[in-house]
Amino acid sequence: MFLALKEMTRAKARFGLLIAAIALLVFLILFQQSLQNGLLTSFVGGIRNQSAPVLVYSVDGQRILQGSIITPDLEALVESAPGVGEVGAIHQGTFTVTSADGAFDASLLGYADPALGAPTTIVEGRLAESLDEVVASSADAESGFDIGDVVRVEPGGLELTVVGLADQAQINAGPTLYGTVDTFLDALRAQNPDAGTPLPNVLGVAPADGTTVDEVVASINAQSDELDAFTKDDAADATPGVAQVRQSFQVIFLLYGLVIPCVTGLFFLIVTFQKAGALTLLRAIGAPAGRLVASLLIQAVLIVGLGYLIGTLLYTPVSQLRLGGIPLEFETAAVITWAIVLMALGLLSSLVAARRVLAIDPVQATTGAGVGR
Amino acid sequence: MSTSSSAPDTSAPALEMKAVRKVYRMGDADIIALDHASLTVQHDEIVALVGPSGSGKTTLCSIAGGILGATEGRVVVAGDDITDYDAKQLTKFRQERVGFVFQSVNLVPFLTARENLLVVDELGRRTGAAARARADQLLEELGLADRRNNLPSQLSGGQRQRVAIGRALMNEPRLVLFDEPTSALDTQLGEQVMELIRNEMKSRGTAAIVVTHDERITHFCDRSVHIVDGHLDAA
Ligand SMILES: Nc1ncnc2c1ncn2[C@@H]1O[C@H](COP(=O)(O)OP(=O)(O)O)[C@@H](O)[C@H]1O
Ligand SMILES: [Mg+2]
Repeated sequence: MFLALKEMTRAKARFGLLIAAIALLVFLILFQQSLQNGLLTSFVGGIRNQSAPVLVYSVDGQRILQGSIITPDLEALVESAPGVGEVGAIHQGTFTVTSADGAFDASLLGYADPALGAPTTIVEGRLAESLDEVVASSADAESGFDIGDVVRVEPGGLELTVVGLADQAQINAGPTLYGTVDTFLDALRAQNPDAGTPLPNVLGVAPADGTTVDEVVASINAQSDELDAFTKDDAADATPGVAQVRQSFQVIFLLYGLVIPCVTGLFFLIVTFQKAGALTLLRAIGAPAGRLVASLLIQAVLIVGLGYLIGTLLYTPVSQLRLGGIPLEFETAAVITWAIVLMALGLLSSLVAARRVLAIDPVQATTGAGVGR
Repeated sequence: MSTSSSAPDTSAPALEMKAVRKVYRMGDADIIALDHASLTVQHDEIVALVGPSGSGKTTLCSIAGGILGATEGRVVVAGDDITDYDAKQLTKFRQERVGFVFQSVNLVPFLTARENLLVVDELGRRTGAAARARADQLLEELGLADRRNNLPSQLSGGQRQRVAIGRALMNEPRLVLFDEPTSALDTQLGEQVMELIRNEMKSRGTAAIVVTHDERITHFCDRSVHIVDGHLDAA
């Protein structure tokens, strides 16, 4: 501890620069993590955070809510599948909706049963209770979708009042409204009086007592090749584009994950070469090699730890921002996971320098040579 | 075989080297740096080791100080036979039993004068306050009290050499090995440093070997031993 700390306080600029570099990288990693999660949530948050534990699509719909259509035949197959409890229709469509802030392409979801398709993350207000009421995604509250705001479905001019706000409840990265099936049909007819009665897009399913979610999913999928049943989280992940977004970010994370150990490893290797004379002297006057390696590892832990702390502090205010319509969040799980990963990588990378320290022959103190041979 | 943890025998010779041979293997060639060198240094004796460059002086000190193993012969330091010590035992031995002042690098550049003394205490079992008191007393004796918080780069050559002497004395060694302690200093400074070395050794009753190729400073020592091509002769 003595040597590790003394050296760091005597070479503040050098160690400070490394800490700053790590802080910057940590900031970038965490920021990208928020960006990834924000992006995905804005596309499929509404699927994850609705009340139906299982969603059933038609295979033709290619796992897109709006593309899926459940015919009465398919619905009958679902209802007769073993282990199925409640079944409720869910409709979804994209409408032009004007709020006080202007016109938006908004998604409207209509559920037949609030237990099978209503948002679960109400942060303010309540679920819709009458035909002209909807819950809006909280991310759009400031765009004229706040509680008490009245929005109009165009053309047709059907007026809907926002009575609740749901967190992480967007789909398609735009304002998302949740009402009953009847509200959805009203909106559809206001837009196109000839619409008739459309078929549901997907079915929300709850398992019967004593049946697990996974069992119901398997049982429904076994009913027909035309049915695509998922748990709600799997449905979100199976949405086209989600896997690709994840993959792209994973490549970025992998690069950062490599840069940090390279930077710390190289830094300690250079520092070890530069102080080879001092390390050799210490070995010659009786410093156990393990003590010098411990000192190196203490420095690595302190530097990665401090860099991580500063990076997280920089990230905290940024994680509250909204970026191009995508609300970011402070990703606690990512902060903890990356802390562990980077600490491990930092320590691992300093082992290269540690090997040099272990290889020091104290006899070199008598001649003036050092590690750097 | 006695170990370094045994109670030191204060009247035993500080160093007994018996028929020590050191051969460096350089590719196919063998370089005989020490040849059947035998040397006894009494417990309070200061011996000057005089010889030309390449005669084996540093090699002898390295073996006596447990930095280098002998090819043949026995080495006993203050009653401890270190001949067969492994690397770990030698590290502990250097930490506790001997003091070194090397020819080249002697101070840790990122530690102050005082910390360069205290680091010795940090290497083994810490004594804390006792070590701080000892460091301050040594710095005082060496005339460095007002320089204790200076880094080596802020000290003159003579001051640095005095810090190195202090560091070598921190662990209360039975034997101190000085490898050409005055070679980098001018004559006057060299004499001052030699006088300091003599005073510090004599006031503590500590034995020392002082390596030099300068006959003029040998009178600070109790006797001189000459070395030529690895052969000792007690003149
Ligand atoms: N590590 C080594 N490898 C090979 N030869 C060495 C090594 N160290 C010293 N020598 C040789 O051993 C002889 C004695 O060296 P040294 O003890 O350093 O002499 P001195 O200190 O008297 O100048 C010299 O010939 C030197 O070249
Ligand atoms: Mg020499």
